[in-house]
Amino acid sequence: MTGLPVAVGRDLTRTFLVNQQPVAALRGVSIRIEQGEYVAFTGPSGSGKSTLLQLLGGLDTPTSGALELLGQPLERMSDAALTELRLRRIGFIFQRFHLLPVLTAQENVELPMAEAGLERSARTKRARDLLEYVGLGARADHRATQLSGGEMQRVAVARALANDPVLVLADEPTGELDVETGNQVLDLFDRLHADGRTLVVVTHDERLSGRARRRVRLRDGRVVADEPTDQG
Amino acid sequence: MTGALVFRNLARHPIRTGLAVLGIAIAAALLLDMVMLSGGMERSFSRMLLSRGYQIRLSPQGTLPFDSEAVIPGATPLVATLRTDPDIASVGPVVATPIHVRTAGSTLTVVAYGIDPAGQGLYELERGADLAPGDTTGLLISEPAARAAGWAIGDTVTVFGRLDPQSAEPGAERRLTVRGVVRFLYDARDQRSVAAAFSVVQQFGSLAARDPASMVMVKVRDDALVDAVAARIAAAHPTVEVNSIAMLVAQFRGRLAYFQQLSLILATISLVVAVLLVGTILSITVGERLGEFAVLRGIGIRRSRIVRMVVLEGAALTALGVVVGLGLGLVAARYLDDILTAFPGLPAAISFFVADRDSVIRAGAAVLAAGTLAAAYPAWLAARAPIALTLRAEAE
Repeated sequence: MTGLPVAVGRDLTRTFLVNQQPVAALRGVSIRIEQGEYVAFTGPSGSGKSTLLQLLGGLDTPTSGALELLGQPLERMSDAALTELRLRRIGFIFQRFHLLPVLTAQENVELPMAEAGLERSARTKRARDLLEYVGLGARADHRATQLSGGEMQRVAVARALANDPVLVLADEPTGELDVETGNQVLDLFDRLHADGRTLVVVTHDERLSGRARRRVRLRDGRVVADEPTDQG
Repeated sequence: MTGALVFRNLARHPIRTGLAVLGIAIAAALLLDMVMLSGGMERSFSRMLLSRGYQIRLSPQGTLPFDSEAVIPGATPLVATLRTDPDIASVGPVVATPIHVRTAGSTLTVVAYGIDPAGQGLYELERGADLAPGDTTGLLISEPAARAAGWAIGDTVTVFGRLDPQSAEPGAERRLTVRGVVRFLYDARDQRSVAAAFSVVQQFGSLAARDPASMVMVKVRDDALVDAVAARIAAAHPTVEVNSIAMLVAQFRGRLAYFQQLSLILATISLVVAVLLVGTILSITVGERLGEFAVLRGIGIRRSRIVRMVVLEGAALTALGVVVGLGLGLVAARYLDDILTAFPGLPAAISFFVADRDSVIRAGAAVLAAGTLAAAYPAWLAARAPIALTLRAEAE
């Protein structure tokens, strides 16, 4: 750990209305993620790990509690500022890849760079480099629908890295993949960590949580354990 | 990249997009036809009246030209007086009366126009020769008259008029030589008409002794002076009805109010249909892709970009429909015009649907604006979708 906080949450709660009834997904979670960490959120379904990840990614806001992302208090950020933060400093990898099916792998990776205003030649080169990095240089011109699950997830990783984010978040990144393909993604995450990225993953996958350096266990919306793994 | 996304998204569901484009095309075609109809007859009427450049019409008191069988008496001195006005370039008296010719086994009735070759605004020569000033033995014929009577240029024919109602004996008879074939500008389709010297045709009418004219056409040297000259003529000749083309068009417009109301209603309906169509298609599309928009927002794509993307999809869909629709509208207008102008008694030069650049641009722009506007609500839905809740709903 380098000690620089990337995300700091204090007493976070998040309540959803389900059939008009309030359902608490998080009940007073406090957490601190520091730069360069590789953290796995684990826990049974409904424990609140994905909700916590979405708060850390600025995809959602807490019902109560205080959250600072990259030094900025979330409650004081406008929607536009939060969008900018997600665009430039946070990379998000979704369980179901969520690539745009009408775009090629290359175009999917270029999308956040185009939004950030990177000029065409620079973003084309960077997208190529990122696809090489995830081992998909040869598949750059294939539409997302022409890729396998593992390939799509690796393109999603490349897309998350497009604007060189400080924090990379992944929600069940191996959840839709077979063992072999999942291992390729896990190797990729190891490389990301080795390259100095701050990585937070939500997973049920023991292999993945075992490769992280820190494991945060959640149950019923609370942190029940926060400990280094064997790797840590 | 937004452009590529827009067109590829539209291509995702080719049948749906194709049907939507077709629907918008029909709305655009209807709108174009209604725009053309609302102003077309008026423009066509004005163009017809001005086709020979005569901007003023004199007709019998209380009537419009050729609206009745009334005549202006004392036509020769009236024309002579008008020709002394320095602002008037040309004066063309016209008298119209039915005349008859004998063909194999039957009598054919045609409309005869008496004109002054020195100033006529009634016809255009198609072939042969025009009447020369002072030619009192020449005859000009329309194509339908030539066909019906079997006449050709150079033929000398006998025409007669003022038939006695009991004995059918003619009161006037004359031999005239066909000089040319002309197109009468105000004739109905297939109307059989002929023209001869003004004084010759006057003799075939029942009021020959009164030196009658059915109408006098006046060409003013300067368009800016038309109203002043018309007012001057009206003041000097209070027993004659004087109308400029603008005044006639205004009266015509009043008679067309029904057409304009109808076209306004149908045009509004077509725009509403376009809005509903684009709005519905995009709402469905956005609903299906809400997760996709949430992901885009999640990776940092701004709301404004998403709004632009959806609005552009609406605009592109509408633009495709407009391109097809304008072509369809022009073809449909031509077909409908053929049906409507075949109505008996209408001048062949009148069109109900007049295609011009302004109408096409106005109709296209209105549908495009309506379609783009219709995309606003689905775009707002796409941009406002809560990211986490939408992704959660997608996952369930």
